[in-house]
Amino acid sequence: MDSSLWIAVVVTAVGTFAMRLVPLLWMRQQLKKHHDKNAIEVIPGWISLLGPLMIAAMLGVSMMPGTPGLASWLATLGGAVATLVAWKYTRTLGLPVLAGVVAFGLLRVLF
Amino acid sequence: MSAPTLSHRRSPFLTGIHEALPLLGSYLPIAMSFGLIAIQTGFSAWEAVFISTVIYAGGSQFLFVGMIASGAPLWLVVTLSLLINARHMVYGPNIAPWVTDSRWWPWLVHGLTDQVFAMAYNRMPDIPEAERVGWFSGVMITAWAGWITGTAVGALGGEQLMSQWPLFGEVAAFALPALLLVLLAPLVTSFQWLVSLCFTTMAAIVMALTGYANLAIPLSALLGAACFYAMNDRHNRSVR
Repeated sequence: MDSSLWIAVVVTAVGTFAMRLVPLLWMRQQLKKHHDKNAIEVIPGWISLLGPLMIAAMLGVSMMPGTPGLASWLATLGGAVATLVAWKYTRTLGLPVLAGVVAFGLLRVLF
Repeated sequence: MSAPTLSHRRSPFLTGIHEALPLLGSYLPIAMSFGLIAIQTGFSAWEAVFISTVIYAGGSQFLFVGMIASGAPLWLVVTLSLLINARHMVYGPNIAPWVTDSRWWPWLVHGLTDQVFAMAYNRMPDIPEAERVGWFSGVMITAWAGWITGTAVGALGGEQLMSQWPLFGEVAAFALPALLLVLLAPLVTSFQWLVSLCFTTMAAIVMALTGYANLAIPLSALLGAACFYAMNDRHNRSVR
């Protein structure tokens, strides 16, 4: 990599770090300013709404199979159902993920 | 009475590591793909690892090496990479109520990626204040180390590994949607939330299918917010 490319990497890294840090510091300041209020009341409604929706959007993007096709989508559906059923009965984090991956893998191998 | 703790058996740091392990199922294959692509587009293994260490944002890293390889001007490469990462600006404010005054937080937010945010948003409210830095450090370091290791493996031997086990990457990657499903399930507290979350997920799938995977996360979240507010208005009108 030549020096200009190194600079581009560093600028992108610093910019990305700032986008993660500055809004957090800003919100911390807002929370301290309104310390008599409930934290949830201080956060603008649209920000607290976007949090869960961003996770749902990530879910949509991550569900895209590596090799799209009917078999992949069926495996995705089966894996999702296995995950949710395991979550319903265990209410834990690890086991439902394991159940989903195993179901997805089995369906991918079978079909 | 003592404050509630995460676990009587593990330290918060170890609990964070334990809870972040499912993330590796998705991080390793994606990071390996990045390492492989970086090598194929002319970067050395050390350069690929450096990029993964300091930028640490999947989508923009792929875009970065891809645009460099196609000869795009550097200012455009940097601008578009930062634009893709702009979605991260919403993450900090959402976890701010549970961030403590520890001096470690400004450094730890380097690891506030999409998936780590999803975990932190879901878990931090239940974690006692004194244990949050330890827990987040465990999650952050596991995910970061996984991403860097995956990049190195992909850059050094990814081609051979992927050709030997072609299904490995695809099956392991399902850990991410499975984890996100588990994180979303408790958030479905009303019909309005159920519809908005399903609508957002479907919108993101459609956008990713039509080739707009990078825009899918912020755009479909905005569409989901519009859906949420539209249902609010409808409910308010029917009450009046």
